[in-house]
Amino acid sequence: MISPDIKQIKIGLVSCGIAAGGEAVYEKLVAAAGNIPVIKVGCLGHCYAEPLVEAVLNDGSSIFYGNVPGKDEAIENILSLGEAGRFSVPEKRREKECVKVLAFAGRIDPTSFEDYVSGGGYDGLKKALTMPPEAVIEEVKISGLRGRGGGGFSTGMKWSFLAAKDSAEKVIVCNADEGDPGAFMDRSLMESVPHQVLEGMLIAAYATCAAKLIIYCRAEYPMAIANLNIAIDQIKANKLNIIDGREIDIYIKEGAGAFVCGEETALIASLEGQRGMPRFRPPFPTDSGYMGKPTMINNVETFGNIPLILREGGAEFAKVGTEGGRGTKIFALAGDLEYPGLVEVPMGTTISEIVFDIGGADPEKVKAVQTGGPSGGCIPKAMFDTPVDYDSLRSLGAIMGSGGMIVIGNDRCMVETARYFLDFTHRESCGKCTFCRVGTTRMFEILERIVAGKGKVEDLDTLEELGSKVKAGSLCGLGQTAPNPVLATLRYYRDEYLEHVNEKSCRAAQCNALVDIVLDQSKCVKCKLCIKSCPVEAVSADFIIDPDKCTRCNSCVDICPKHAIARIPKGENK
Amino acid sequence: MSIEFFLDGKAVSAEPGQTIMDAAKANGIVIPGLCGDPRISKTTSCFVCVVKDKKTGKFLPSCSARPAPGQEIEVTTPEVLDMRRTALELLLSEHTGDCEAPCTIACPAHAQVEEYVRLIANGEFEKGLAVIKERIPMPMSVGRVSPRFCEKQCRRNIDGKPVAINEFKRLAADLCYDSFMEEIPADCGKKVAVVGGGPAGLAAAYYLRLQGVAVTVFDAQDDFGGMTRYGIPEYRLPKAILSKEVAHFAQMGIELVPGKKLGENLDLAELKAAYDAVVIAIGCWKASGLRCEGEELATPGIEFLHSVAVNNNTGKNPGRTLVIGGGNTAMDCVRTSVRLGSSDVTCIYRRTEAEMPAEKIEIAEAKEEGVKFQFLTAPVKLEKRGTKLILTCLKMELGEPDASGRRKPVAVPGSEFEIEADTVISAIGQGTDAPAGVPVDRYGNLAVKAENTTRVEDKIYAAGDCAYGARTVVEALASGRLAALEIAEDILNKAMPAENSIFISRGSWQEMSQDEVVVLRNDLSSEPRVELKFIPLEERKNSFKEVCATITPEEAASEGKRCIECSCSDKSDCKLRKFADEAGCRKNAYAGERQLASYDLRHPDIVQDRGKCIKCTVCVKVCKEVVNQSLLSLQKRGFQANIGTAFNQGLPLSCKDCGACIESCPTGALDWRKKR
Repeated sequence: MISPDIKQIKIGLVSCGIAAGGEAVYEKLVAAAGNIPVIKVGCLGHCYAEPLVEAVLNDGSSIFYGNVPGKDEAIENILSLGEAGRFSVPEKRREKECVKVLAFAGRIDPTSFEDYVSGGGYDGLKKALTMPPEAVIEEVKISGLRGRGGGGFSTGMKWSFLAAKDSAEKVIVCNADEGDPGAFMDRSLMESVPHQVLEGMLIAAYATCAAKLIIYCRAEYPMAIANLNIAIDQIKANKLNIIDGREIDIYIKEGAGAFVCGEETALIASLEGQRGMPRFRPPFPTDSGYMGKPTMINNVETFGNIPLILREGGAEFAKVGTEGGRGTKIFALAGDLEYPGLVEVPMGTTISEIVFDIGGADPEKVKAVQTGGPSGGCIPKAMFDTPVDYDSLRSLGAIMGSGGMIVIGNDRCMVETARYFLDFTHRESCGKCTFCRVGTTRMFEILERIVAGKGKVEDLDTLEELGSKVKAGSLCGLGQTAPNPVLATLRYYRDEYLEHVNEKSCRAAQCNALVDIVLDQSKCVKCKLCIKSCPVEAVSADFIIDPDKCTRCNSCVDICPKHAIARIPKGENK
Repeated sequence: MSIEFFLDGKAVSAEPGQTIMDAAKANGIVIPGLCGDPRISKTTSCFVCVVKDKKTGKFLPSCSARPAPGQEIEVTTPEVLDMRRTALELLLSEHTGDCEAPCTIACPAHAQVEEYVRLIANGEFEKGLAVIKERIPMPMSVGRVSPRFCEKQCRRNIDGKPVAINEFKRLAADLCYDSFMEEIPADCGKKVAVVGGGPAGLAAAYYLRLQGVAVTVFDAQDDFGGMTRYGIPEYRLPKAILSKEVAHFAQMGIELVPGKKLGENLDLAELKAAYDAVVIAIGCWKASGLRCEGEELATPGIEFLHSVAVNNNTGKNPGRTLVIGGGNTAMDCVRTSVRLGSSDVTCIYRRTEAEMPAEKIEIAEAKEEGVKFQFLTAPVKLEKRGTKLILTCLKMELGEPDASGRRKPVAVPGSEFEIEADTVISAIGQGTDAPAGVPVDRYGNLAVKAENTTRVEDKIYAAGDCAYGARTVVEALASGRLAALEIAEDILNKAMPAENSIFISRGSWQEMSQDEVVVLRNDLSSEPRVELKFIPLEERKNSFKEVCATITPEEAASEGKRCIECSCSDKSDCKLRKFADEAGCRKNAYAGERQLASYDLRHPDIVQDRGKCIKCTVCVKVCKEVVNQSLLSLQKRGFQANIGTAFNQGLPLSCKDCGACIESCPTGALDWRKKR
């Protein structure tokens, strides 16, 4: 029975919702809801609760249902406003988060121009157009907004540099080449509220007198590209791209997936149709960028903040945050925690608030957090009281980066973690600079040796020496930051490295070469599942595991119903 | 408006637009770089040219960075040099190739083997001889007696026999020695005394003379050549040939003074006072005893050979002869005994044939001449019974390997037996008879200050056998050359030429498969190795005539085509090698994966060798920006990045073979296929 209180139903159906099976839920909702409109909306950031359905009631309140299975009972439960499967934002998260940039996300239909406008969208642009361009830039400066792509340069300053250029062909580029593993803030924003990003760009075009707006978006984000294209068509239909009588050219350039293209000079090369490789600066892009034209590059989230600053004023915006960073920051939480997803918090929120209060991680089980993705560093639990802003993270050997935050549990090996990140960056080096191309490879090879139990204690010094040289001797951010995960883990977890090289032991029992699989006879019920599951016949008929045959594939550990089989660091069994 | 800034603390100025590298060059500081070419836009990729901005602490690529007013740039501080060296070492760590061919690396004198083989095969004998004499100033002798270190490493060993390298030396020297003369510079005013006129002393004199130094060589014997004259028998190295070489040294203006022996009629202190430097190259003339009872009854091998040499290759028939020892001197003794008329010559050696230090060819030729071998036999007593000598021996068996890696002979208890002989010659080793007043090492050799130097003390240098024990002629020549270079450095303040310490090598043939041998030439011969022409066996046994003839120019032309030409086509002007040498790079500082050598031979004239490429992308930009072709591009990412062609189809027909990419390549990654 459909509750008469329901006005409309919203379901999060951007990439994350679809990946969680939301489309099946949507089909069933449409079929069962009768006259009640079912609207596809963007992402609310609660990845752990997808598919997430919101029943909007006639009185304006809402009831949420999380992890909705695509089954008829679940649909009936929602339509009858049943008690089962109701979802509410965890209380601690509600206290700590500060939803401003993501205010529209998950609330409106991303493809609806009207939805965005009726919620106050394009008010920022309207207001900007009533001000002289210099005043707009001044407002951005007052807001204290710093680039959200990782560098943290003052956005207002950057705008003023471009504005000062005397050219009728200035270019503004939105860097949507979000490449860090574990980071998805920009994707979510573009998919959920494409107009907000475009509004920010149009305001920038007005403030700096730019003629061309290009969104450089990785091709792996098809829905972001689709939604942005719809939004661009709507802008053109509504003539919002005509500013001061000038028609602004707006289009999307799809990137081919090179991580290095997130670096601005490589991005420009890619835009021009060249191989995406950074070049020496100066000249800086504001002097000579895309096709030699003055060019300014801002990140997606940076543009997402602009409409807000214009709507509420720079001073009001700056009330949130700290000295080290104004406004809010969106983080992508992933790893060993209860509530992975997106969260927007004021700058200056501590790591422990984000990881424990919002992410729901168990303080007993957490070892560290990795910020800034493969370019960042790990921060040990002992330092979780650090407020998150650009400067304090850098002082710890990590970086804010674009906002990825990966929680590392006690059962993760820090050497393996460093190896994992370097595996990514050393492959993604464009191959230009010697230190980056060869240096990161040599570091990676050393880490491979260490996790394989073949490391030597001198390797640690070589890693530190090469790491600092790679940072100093690389042209772009990729090489300048690639050693960070290694250097940070060496700084805080040197003892784990030493155990690997000296004792050939991995305390997290993660590195296969340094791990034994043992069967506890006292727990064993002789069900033989382990024997059947073993692909290499390493478990004998009397339930003894032969360490020489065993490949540490974990089949037996996973299948044992009594948890009698465990991975333990090599040598601990004696 | 010029820009004022500081280079290593020195105030300098740069023109607007000048890079730090340009400005440094204008001020006499050359900063190495691998990725620049004035005709193209900056690549800024190799980072060999880094300098440091003192204030910001940042390293800058000086090829691209322009100085800012007042900027303090560090160019040659240890930190900057270390950073530069690391960049080069990282490049070397992914570099494959053969900076020098394995034959050259194996040659103790590092002679440019491939080059002289090619010249001589092409009939350019005099040029070939000049290349040989850059490192081997006694090519007629070495061309006859060398144990052929080079040939043992020749990669033709993989599919058969090595190129007959040594025969090329002999041919060129035999053909041109009369007409060939070095250019001797004007006297520089310095003079050096060399004590010892063997190969080491003569080589030192030779290379000093080429620097314009006045050299006097003293020798204790009546004639020059040292062991090459008095140790090596006539049938291996005819005295007339040796005399020709000795005469050549005299023609160069080297003063040769015979009959002067240090400590007898020559005083070291006086020499030191009278000359700018003294080279001691007195060889190893002290024979080791048999270390058994009655050892004084044995004739020392070198004395035996010496007496035959001074008596014009004559001597009394030694009768039934036992020669004890397994080295080349032992072989010289047995074969000389045969030639003196003995029909019963036996070589006694305590290990087996496999462990014999003598050259295989010497052993084989001795066997051909009827010499018998008694292995696993050690002397324990020598005594005289009537007119006969009785040597008591013990049977041995091979035990555990000793320090030399060879299995140690162990006596079999109770296995004594006696051998009767007319003559017993001991040839088990030689030592240095060091003159008084010169420091010696624990082996009794002259004590040089370190490995790879000939410096002993102020003004005193030691070269050849007396510095390291008895070895080969070619090693003595190399040692003499080193002494000359060190003396030139010390007394003429001339920097030693870079000895190209960076020998990136694809490896020795023993650890390579046939597929791994890179062959660029398309006219490689599959003919068998040239056969040497020996004189008839009876003539060999009955006379001291040289046993085999010099090969003919025709044979050399055909044999030369068997050379694979292993070395890098760019070895003479490879910038990576040059800078790495200058920076003192360690060879295997950062070991790791290398890109597999992948030769692209699809173009008939141009070879692309990815293993040598340092990804500087200069060729890409030259082809695009200078030639307007864009036929090359950087492909793939990370360590797999490499220079490729469109759709990996090789250089297309539109390539005009202009060679611009080849000229601009800092290494040999792009080169003409045919070596010139």
